[in-house]
Amino acid sequence: MDPLVYLLDFIVFIGIFSILSLSLNLEFGFAGLANFGKVAFVLVGAYSYYILSEIGVPFYLCLILCALSSAIVGFLVSLPTLKLREDYLAIVVLSFGEILKLIVKSEGWIAGGVWGTPVSPAITIDGVSSRVDALVNIGLVYFCLSICLIMAHFLMNSPYGRVIRAIREDEIAAEALGKNRARYRAQIFALGSAMAGLGGGLYAQYIQFIDPYMFVPMLTFTVWIMVLVGGPGNNWGAILGAGLVTFFDRGANIAKDYLTLPIDPSNLQYIIYGVLIILVLLYRPQGLVKESHVKTKALDRVSHERTTVEIRRS
Amino acid sequence: MKEPLLRLEEVSKHFGGLYAVNRVNLDINSGGIWGLVGPNGSGKSTLFKTILGLHKADEGSIFFGNRSIANLVPHQIYALGLVNTFQVPRLFHTLSVLDNMMVAGRGHQGDSLINSLFFRKNWQKQEVELADRAMEILELLEIDNLVGSPAGELSGGQRKLLEIGKGLMASPTLLFLDEPAAGVNPKLGRKIFEKIGDLCRKGLCCFIIEHRLELLFDFAHWVYVMDKGQIIIKGTPEEVVKNPSFYQVYLGD
Amino acid sequence: MVNWAQILLNSAITGSLYLIGAVGLTLTYGLSKFPNFAHAEYITFGAFVGYLVAEQLGLGLPMSLLAAFLITGLGGLLCYRFVFQPLAKRGATIIHLMVASIGLGFLLRYSIGAIWGWEPLYFHIDWPSYDMGPIRITSLWIWIIFSAVALSIILHLMLIKTKIGKAIRASSSNPELALASGININRVILITWFIGAGLAAVAGIFRAANTQIWPMTGWDIILPIFAVAILGGIGNYYGSIVAAFIIGLAENLGVVALMALGLSTSYRIAIAFAILIITLIIKPQGLAMLFRRG
Repeated sequence: MDPLVYLLDFIVFIGIFSILSLSLNLEFGFAGLANFGKVAFVLVGAYSYYILSEIGVPFYLCLILCALSSAIVGFLVSLPTLKLREDYLAIVVLSFGEILKLIVKSEGWIAGGVWGTPVSPAITIDGVSSRVDALVNIGLVYFCLSICLIMAHFLMNSPYGRVIRAIREDEIAAEALGKNRARYRAQIFALGSAMAGLGGGLYAQYIQFIDPYMFVPMLTFTVWIMVLVGGPGNNWGAILGAGLVTFFDRGANIAKDYLTLPIDPSNLQYIIYGVLIILVLLYRPQGLVKESHVKTKALDRVSHERTTVEIRRS
Repeated sequence: MKEPLLRLEEVSKHFGGLYAVNRVNLDINSGGIWGLVGPNGSGKSTLFKTILGLHKADEGSIFFGNRSIANLVPHQIYALGLVNTFQVPRLFHTLSVLDNMMVAGRGHQGDSLINSLFFRKNWQKQEVELADRAMEILELLEIDNLVGSPAGELSGGQRKLLEIGKGLMASPTLLFLDEPAAGVNPKLGRKIFEKIGDLCRKGLCCFIIEHRLELLFDFAHWVYVMDKGQIIIKGTPEEVVKNPSFYQVYLGD
Repeated sequence: MVNWAQILLNSAITGSLYLIGAVGLTLTYGLSKFPNFAHAEYITFGAFVGYLVAEQLGLGLPMSLLAAFLITGLGGLLCYRFVFQPLAKRGATIIHLMVASIGLGFLLRYSIGAIWGWEPLYFHIDWPSYDMGPIRITSLWIWIIFSAVALSIILHLMLIKTKIGKAIRASSSNPELALASGININRVILITWFIGAGLAAVAGIFRAANTQIWPMTGWDIILPIFAVAILGGIGNYYGSIVAAFIIGLAENLGVVALMALGLSTSYRIAIAFAILIITLIIKPQGLAMLFRRG
């Protein structure tokens, strides 16, 4: 493969996984939700994109609608567990992902079943090289990523973001202060699922192919590693994590071709992931980038007042 | 005839076969400090939790104004103006003291998803007003210097003060305090009661569980005494102190 | 014509398998307060140890069951001691422990894949089948049901009669009181993890003998096993027994329904999922209320 295209491809992947990482950061990093089924909502997004694009919906609408459909599915799946302890959500969404995968495998009429189906790219410009194609995708993906980042930033630097963090810290105390935890959790889960669906749609049209074997729990937990390593509760940490893990993944793939190892590299890569998860949780659960704090006018006001008071006192 | 703010009629709560709260009747009218005392295990905290929706009453009715609240959940109870604080402070440890206070603020437009994403101008002013109010309360409680510190770094006494601060921040119609002077040095305890007393003179209504009877009796104008799940004495502090059953309750039989 | 007798038998077999697989999960879940997703890999590991002993060393099934129980039990204990216990000591939350168990699962699964490869392996054991009236039963299935019954009784007697059993029950329902009564909670936890992983291994061998041995052996049945733990009530031993057979029956009846509707029978795991969701909506504590002393 043309090295420049390889690099551009790498950049596209970082972009797509940054969206997924941001979505999990919203759910787990900020809201403390254990989404063990992220891949399910990526799948919904990818397959929705395929179906919509097949019936001729323009790509921008496809992306909006596939995000919306993932949001709805996410909301519905989370409903039974919104008031329960966090482990229940984990079990339910993880299982849900497996069931979804089973459905698309068994129901061949949806999208080719186990054989998968090609997907048309969002933007096709005739007669251009793969480099330009990759650049166009970078533009599209990073545009979507920017929207997600801005949204996550606004949400988390607002009274809403404060409430979300409070519910994560102590849901009983938050409820005692009038915050309906079920409502907030449902909203965050729907938003996170929407982002995941968007990521799924972008992924589908970029790879130009989808099949059920692309949507395995390993994808969910690769995103978890991104958030854990990058720093839960910080949007930039999530993106950093996405970059680092994607880099490692690429590196592992290259190493497979050039190194002879006693252990089959695909097995080794996931063994390393497993060890990495445990080590990060043991020794650096806060990740590389520290959790971000709520920044609103309240903070400015208080700092301003305190400085004024100090000036007066001195 | 003044309508009671809070009325309990024959309220009971049991666990297994054990009645922690047994056919309790009480009234709280607006304004002032209402005390709830009794030996350990008499059911005081359970009574509070039952009123505040953390437990569901097995029997009886609970009215706030003329509204039945026995089946409401905590966030609905807060919405009506009954504000709970916890005996062991439940703070948001990674959030700053300021943020802890701001979460307690009532009716913040910025709490909504749509407003935080799209109509950000709607709540900026409210945010600043709430911040000012938070600072006022923190200054009153003399922990304003900690405003930027994470709540997890506060000492035991400071946590107690912040817990009370959160309660005050919530603009309560009726504020529940569970042992506000427990675990803090006597001077600070008295200071806490003095500040609450000040606020109550200005219209705040508090229902307070307290073991430091000498403190509570100095400030409360009405006291309920509980023993084994039942209200056995009620009256002004002077009346309670003159009642022989009061001493029996504490010294055992 | 539906062969109800066969369906009932199949339900008993499925239920037995799920029972053996789920008891370990529900006990450790109840005691350590988090679902151990690596339980799937304990099942898988047991199957491979069984393969090693029965096929590669040629020692036959009974030896392989014993060896798998002991070795996997020890492995589960070590996993707790070196992964979960240190995490808990550092203040790990439920989510951290769950994620760690996923990581542990990957570590185990891909290590198994590295050692034995990903091609399915098989036990080369002859399982004679018997026709008794309308039903057909193989000796493997007899083994499964017999083991489930035997293990249930042994565990029941252990929980009721032995000191360690009573300690386990006390620690599950009230850890502080148990500690105050002088029970060595740490030992109780280690033994529970040992037994849990050991039983998973037994389930693994039976599952693998019934289908195939590969690194996803445990993962293939983990969803119904979680459903059993939740329906039975987390940490509730007796609840899990009842739940296992309910789900076994529901699945097998469901297969009949699926075939009648012309749907793929691989949807059978969706039945366990449906039961899981319904349990959470109606009564999240599951059958625990029926067995107060679970």
